[in-house]
Amino acid sequence: MFLTRIRLNTARAGARKFLISPRAMHGAVTKAFAEGLPAPEAGARVLWRLDRNSRDEVYCYIVSPERPDLTHVVEQAGWPTTQTWETRDYAPFLARLEAGQRWAFRLTANPVHSIRRKDGEPTKVTAHRTPRHQLGWLLQRQEANGFQITAKPEERRRAPGDDYEVIVRDRHAHRFGKTESDGRPNQVALTSVTFDGRLEITDPGALRRMLTAGLGRAKAYGCGLMTLAPVD
Amino acid sequence: MSVLLLQLAGPLQSWGASSRFARRSTENAPTKSGLIGLLAAAQGRSRGDGLGDLAGLRFGVRADQPGVRVRDFQTAHHADTGEAMPVSERFYLADAVFLAAFEGDGALLEELHEALNDPVYLPYLGRRSCPPARSIPLGVREGGLEDALNGHRWLAAEWYQEKRKREPEVELGAWIDVREGETAHHELRDLPLSFAPEHRRYAMRGLEYTRVTVANPQGAPPPPVPAHDPIAALGGE
Repeated sequence: MFLTRIRLNTARAGARKFLISPRAMHGAVTKAFAEGLPAPEAGARVLWRLDRNSRDEVYCYIVSPERPDLTHVVEQAGWPTTQTWETRDYAPFLARLEAGQRWAFRLTANPVHSIRRKDGEPTKVTAHRTPRHQLGWLLQRQEANGFQITAKPEERRRAPGDDYEVIVRDRHAHRFGKTESDGRPNQVALTSVTFDGRLEITDPGALRRMLTAGLGRAKAYGCGLMTLAPVD
Repeated sequence: MSVLLLQLAGPLQSWGASSRFARRSTENAPTKSGLIGLLAAAQGRSRGDGLGDLAGLRFGVRADQPGVRVRDFQTAHHADTGEAMPVSERFYLADAVFLAAFEGDGALLEELHEALNDPVYLPYLGRRSCPPARSIPLGVREGGLEDALNGHRWLAAEWYQEKRKREPEVELGAWIDVREGETAHHELRDLPLSFAPEHRRYAMRGLEYTRVTVANPQGAPPPPVPAHDPIAALGGE
């Protein structure tokens, strides 16, 4: 596995296209692999995420089974003569993960649930819209994915429900058209949200699987990639 | 030069400058005629009295909270006979707050300020059904009109300041009388010559539109994005 980071030059029209359209960014990430994307059945898959740290500091992170070639992204939306992308081998890092370790994490995801409005109606996948429900969605998935979000010490809790070392931010509703493989037009609507927080590893195997296969839906559109950083 | 400052805040205000017949519109900000009427009423002048001293003051107004335009479709009936009045459309500004200023001779402005604190006829915001929600006079201060409009704190309601908390400084629109010989951006027939009921007369007034920047007491920059560098965890290549 490889972890890649590329910084986007937000002054360029090409970068703006990637920033507003998850579909355009998905297309660019797909074309970074000469052999095409691996079949999803293989477990590990290509995941990507946009980190908007500030107005002009935007990174795209990619986790992939193969080494990507992002020349086309640099040409359209980067600094072609001074800066390219950084790719590091992810496997040694994944191998070092052990139960009990604490890490800072960032995850952009598409939290959804299935609801029906009245009895007998088929259920429909619906986005969680409030930070409380979006966090609830993440808390429900922590055990199966081998991590536990750190509880906040009593004295730092500011309101009821503010129980964990995590913030929910950058909530976005996207809506765009796409053409299905059979040629029929379709509308995609998705809500993405970014979680920043601290976690403790409970099951390294499950966590490794999640870090390379993603969490939740809309993985093609920049959701589901969690990364870890040292806790300062 | 001195400046008299007024605040105009209320659930409804209505400042007409060109209304005719059954459609009674409102401008986006208080008119000079409306405020001169308010000052003259506070002093207890009658309709036929002279207005030359008030009309000679230089006037400016700043929109601290622009408000929302609302339309009232009025179907009034005569109280005694029950006869229908002409159906009229009335426009108001709801939830607006303005800062108005008159520039001129200090003694006259002091008199007006005292009159507003103890008015002979009660003040209203453009139409008698629009009572003020706050005390109108803010005092007389030394200096020019532009400085007074630039320097005064933001008068908008706290909920409105909160709504714009992503802006530590807000830009407000202001309309100021042009000086003699300057070119006006805009003209309005709201300089009163006479309020005599048998023949009200107004002259044209030249205005310029500017923008004023004031501090937002509720302003807070967006929360910082936490630092996150996953490459650092991987060590050197």
